[in-house]
Amino acid sequence: MENAVTQSLLGSIARSIHEGGLSELTILGIESTSHTFGVGIVRVSSGVPEILVNEFSKYVPEKGGIHPRDASNYHAEEAPKVLHRALSKAKVKLSEVSAIAVALGPGLGPCLRVGATIARFLSSYYSKPLIPVNHAVAHIEIGKLLNNLRDPLVIYVSGGNTLIAVQRRKRYRIVGETLDISLGNLLDTFAREVGLAPPYVVNGVHQVDVCADWGEDFIDLPYTVKGNDLSFSGLLTAALKKAREAKSRRELGSVCLSLRETAFNMLVEVSERALVLAAKSEVLLTGGVAANKVLNDKLASMASIHGAKFYTVPADYAGDNGAMIAWNGLLHYAYGVVVKPEEAFVRQRWRLDEVDAPWLLED
Amino acid sequence: MASGGLIELTQGAEAKIYRTMFLGIPAIVKLRISKPYRHPEYDRVFKHRRTLIEAKVMTHLRSLGVRAPSVLYVDPDAGIIVMEYIDGCRLSECLSKMPIDRVAEIALDIGRQTSIMHANSVYHGDLTLANTLISSKDEIYIIDFGLSGYSKDLEEYAIDVHLLDRSVELLYPELKDAFMNSFWKGYLMNASISFVEKLKDKVRDIRLRGRYVEERLKKRISKDRYA
Repeated sequence: MENAVTQSLLGSIARSIHEGGLSELTILGIESTSHTFGVGIVRVSSGVPEILVNEFSKYVPEKGGIHPRDASNYHAEEAPKVLHRALSKAKVKLSEVSAIAVALGPGLGPCLRVGATIARFLSSYYSKPLIPVNHAVAHIEIGKLLNNLRDPLVIYVSGGNTLIAVQRRKRYRIVGETLDISLGNLLDTFAREVGLAPPYVVNGVHQVDVCADWGEDFIDLPYTVKGNDLSFSGLLTAALKKAREAKSRRELGSVCLSLRETAFNMLVEVSERALVLAAKSEVLLTGGVAANKVLNDKLASMASIHGAKFYTVPADYAGDNGAMIAWNGLLHYAYGVVVKPEEAFVRQRWRLDEVDAPWLLED
Repeated sequence: MASGGLIELTQGAEAKIYRTMFLGIPAIVKLRISKPYRHPEYDRVFKHRRTLIEAKVMTHLRSLGVRAPSVLYVDPDAGIIVMEYIDGCRLSECLSKMPIDRVAEIALDIGRQTSIMHANSVYHGDLTLANTLISSKDEIYIIDFGLSGYSKDLEEYAIDVHLLDRSVELLYPELKDAFMNSFWKGYLMNASISFVEKLKDKVRDIRLRGRYVEERLKKRISKDRYA
């Protein structure tokens, strides 16, 4: 991963590593904010970053959505296996790790506590510094690393988040966000209530997309854009009502089609406005919903109208994963951001725009 | 239609902006364009609806003394509005070069004009620094009424303020407090204190609706305690 932006970013990190008397950094990152328990290991050696391993195990409910207790039980069982797998694949011993990074929020409390407990233990037992990482910032930074981006307009869409952000004065600032449920939540809840899911995604295609192919007609559904903010809950209610009235596969398909078009158009519209307002030349789509092809196409075509380049993140790094926590942990660590294990509390609510990001490169 | 050539100025989020001469007046042509990512039916409704409301609101506000460009010609089916050209600079670009006193004066005037708008049941819908101009005669203009509309719902007015607040925070975090304080002073020129208090509460409510706002949780807990 040698590229210009990373080089200049790592130049400053290398300096701080050097000042700390280190030539190399190896960070182990732990992710457990929601359905995924992940462990990633990232190493920077002579200014070149490398993702050594990105292991994870994903909790898939048999029915319904994610139950926080069931998910956390799952994490507790999977955690040692995932950790062992990561260490042995990377051929790294815990004693060789420079520091432990952990996603302390935002997310589901019971799930967060599993990752935090393990991280605090590893940190105390092996006397390694502990780095607090914000899950949302980590999502953005891994996308920037993999695409060699300096200052993109960020569109972060997942089961828990739907937001548009840009960096400014050493922080990410939120330009627009959902005021109620997230885009992923909208699609998942609809699919579940209508009886199309779980599983929600099969072979990389969401059930709502599968269903949309059955339909042809466009139905008028509530389109709620408030300035740069979005609201999906009224759309969900209206779509479910229409779905219950549907008498054929084709009619249900039309509801799916209209739901998807309405929701995506809302997101693309605010993204477009944010892109023009912030005047960026790069657009980055990340988060669990980033894999959606229809959304990708719409955003790519929007970006091209404004001469901006569109980037997305490979599925293994777009969804929740440990490597992104490790990489963001490394960035924090290079600037001396650590936390004492006894003070590493989880924060279920921890906004992206509350996190200082001293590594950000600004013009 | 146009009596001069068309020179493309910018590509906005939903329209192309051209400069021209219209009946001897320097003018702007705002042409709403079809979007490849939008469903065709949506596209048609959007263009028509938004062009019509934009022209209507601008004309109305102008008569109330709000500095919006004059509308010269409208064709909703084609998505075209021709309006007076304002020689100036968007605040999103110019604010940083100004002394803090001048920033306060500008914010005061935006507050004043916004309150006239709201007092007449109009909301802007996209009130950001990118949609406010300072003209070469040092007058503050509000532009781009593409998302505006008529409503008596306090929520819509609060969203205007919320958007402005966030756009200042986004572009010039260090100016935000000074800017918003002056904005509210200006707003009070056409609104009662009790209305402004209600509006401020609503703006705070909207902010708290965002994702992972810790304050929201605390607020609910303390409410329960005193119930």
